[in-house]
Amino acid sequence: MFDLADVQGNILRGYTGKPHVRYLILEVADAMAARRWLAASISGRYHGVPQITTGDWGTAKPETCFNIGLTYEGLRALGTPSSSLAMLPNEFIAGMTASAAKLGDVGHSAPEKWPAPFNEPKRIHLIATIYADKVEQLEQIQQRALDRNALTLLGTREGCTFPGEKERDFVHFGYRDNISQPRFEGVPDSQRHPDRQPKAPLGTVLLGHPTNLEGLTWRVPQPAELGHNGTFNAFRVLKQDVAGFEKYLDQAASFLLQHPRVEELLPPGNEEKIGKGLSRCEALREIVAANLCGRWRDGTPLALSAEIPDPKMDLTDFDYVGVGDSRCPHGAHIRRCNPRGGQIVQRIANNSRRLVRRGVPYGPPYDPAKPFERDEPERGLLGNFIGASLGAQFEAMSCDWLNLGLQDPRITGSNDPISGANDPRTSWFDLPLTSGDPIRLHGLPEFVSTRGGAYTFLPSISAIRYLGSLTT
Amino acid sequence: MANDESWFGKFVNELHEKPWFKCAGAWTLVPIWARLTPVKPLPGGVRPSIQPGDNLQSMMNLIMPLKTENRSPIGRAAAALAIAKNRDQIFAGLDNVGTVHFARFVIVNDNICMFSVYDGDFTNYIRDFIATIGSAFNDVVKLVEGGDAVTPCEENVEAFIQWIHEHDLYQVPDTPTDFLRDQEYLEGDKAVSPVNDDLTLLPRKLVLQLRANKNVSLGSGYRAYPGYSVAQVRKQLQLGW
Ligand code: HEM
Repeated sequence: MFDLADVQGNILRGYTGKPHVRYLILEVADAMAARRWLAASISGRYHGVPQITTGDWGTAKPETCFNIGLTYEGLRALGTPSSSLAMLPNEFIAGMTASAAKLGDVGHSAPEKWPAPFNEPKRIHLIATIYADKVEQLEQIQQRALDRNALTLLGTREGCTFPGEKERDFVHFGYRDNISQPRFEGVPDSQRHPDRQPKAPLGTVLLGHPTNLEGLTWRVPQPAELGHNGTFNAFRVLKQDVAGFEKYLDQAASFLLQHPRVEELLPPGNEEKIGKGLSRCEALREIVAANLCGRWRDGTPLALSAEIPDPKMDLTDFDYVGVGDSRCPHGAHIRRCNPRGGQIVQRIANNSRRLVRRGVPYGPPYDPAKPFERDEPERGLLGNFIGASLGAQFEAMSCDWLNLGLQDPRITGSNDPISGANDPRTSWFDLPLTSGDPIRLHGLPEFVSTRGGAYTFLPSISAIRYLGSLTT
Repeated sequence: MANDESWFGKFVNELHEKPWFKCAGAWTLVPIWARLTPVKPLPGGVRPSIQPGDNLQSMMNLIMPLKTENRSPIGRAAAALAIAKNRDQIFAGLDNVGTVHFARFVIVNDNICMFSVYDGDFTNYIRDFIATIGSAFNDVVKLVEGGDAVTPCEENVEAFIQWIHEHDLYQVPDTPTDFLRDQEYLEGDKAVSPVNDDLTLLPRKLVLQLRANKNVSLGSGYRAYPGYSVAQVRKQLQLGW
């Protein structure tokens, strides 16, 4: 059986109650000292190194949470035996920058343009994450975590959920996020939003357990205590151009206002139902935003309610078959990322590429009252895309589904409207209409660009103990 | 490039056209060059492109040398039977994976070759095939040199994909600069490094590369029309997808 206490807590829990998140991007300064640091991080007894939060909280909720991920270079720097290193998957060994073309990290998003510390990917060894209620706690834990003999701090990234009980689930671009996650047998936290999708086998997110692809197993780096119950994470710093996004909604709404079939999209009189006091143009903006994502900004899935956002609708219990199929655009973000039971080209892949997502916004919320200022501060999402196989899940989704649209001939050759590497000269997106042919939108720019990232291995508690005890 | 036009430069660069040189070169000069400037084999398959449409109808050219004990008419017949036996499975696989246009098996000398045209990412294509018709792959690959280490493929997914990738032919780009860029890419660990575009060195570099990659694909295949996915074609022809 599987032991929650052996798994790092951030894999199976969302820590949704902790609004402040700080990433410490670290380099191993001295292997021996770093190994001592790791050993201390699970005993919590040495020099006050913060204790790694596991999946088993017992009765008391921790005040702050602390988790780590190691890059390939990090595992090497710690002295992991070469026979174990050789068992790691290729994409992890080569690192995120080697997959740039597959991930759409080109143009503005190209790794050569990433700011420090991501401009020196090989120096990034360990990424530690602190989750807390208050900023002061982040400071305290950071102080305790930094043992200069063991680790050199290369840089930090910090995010914070939007203030307010209602707002905390929202992200830049104004959508409600953090709704859909794979549900796992025996993991209570993942049952937050029950739906009709099959439960995900534990091997979706932990090495050494059965995967969704029948009979297929991912290689578990040996010794077993190193690989078993570990997983991989794609950490991404994704900059969001909120002003550009809002401007595009304006542009699309004016285009639609002139369109001969606009009344099908927005029957006159429906504006009020889309949002209180909305003009026709404003209502059309919301319709476009909803279609790009596959959810209205309040989270209502289009598959359940295509005409208006409806808070009474279930947030996750829907599918892309029957009416659900025709209501949600084939190219919408959430449909590209998870086709659920809908028809796709790769018939065996409907449920096999699922990811656990842990993200938090960074940068100040966008203020629509002061739009298009020249010096918009950088804002975006610090995203973690977690799965037992980077190749079969994160990369497969990014490359074939988000960036190529291979899963459905009606979207092939177009990029994801929200996170894709779009070029306004070639991009397009189809808004479905009940009467037949869709209305095609053009000119979508790149709303999201990559500003850094790394592939990390999220070791189990046993693995951290093992790494801490290495002597070479 | 100061001595571009010098008699010696010209002499060296035209050497490969001289009959006497072809003989002497193959046996003595090329191995010496190769010692002086070691060249790593270039990886096979197409490089993912940033243009979504370019990632359709990519070509895979697998050349898999049969095990020594199978290098005989009997061994080649075993390979032929392994394919024939799995015929129905292969069709079922094509249907379920949904991203393969054509696949051909060919025996050339003592190699079993698989040539195919697929859409999207290479590793997804192979992984999806393992998941659907892994046993057909196993039947063929276990006749091949090095195949035992990666079968059954269902339990060696990562190693199997890597192995297939290593047997996929390097696709020599149509333009010399792209070829030079591929070489530079292999040398450095940076995504883009400055390219040495000295084309006078090309013949020499190509010879050395073809020593490291004995079999290659010339170009990435030529199409009479822009790339379309299997499903786009099937949909257009109203065959269902
Ligand atoms: C800044 C960039 C991004 C933004 C603003 C964004 C936004 C959203 C939103 C609003 C949702 C709906 C909320 C939910 O269902 O929980 C969502 C769902 C999702 N996103 Fe993203 N996303 C971004 C990038 C990505 C990337 C890069 C990936 C994958 C490589 C991804 C994968 C997913 C997945 C798997 C879902 C859940 C779909 C489902 O299960 O129905 N997202 N995203």
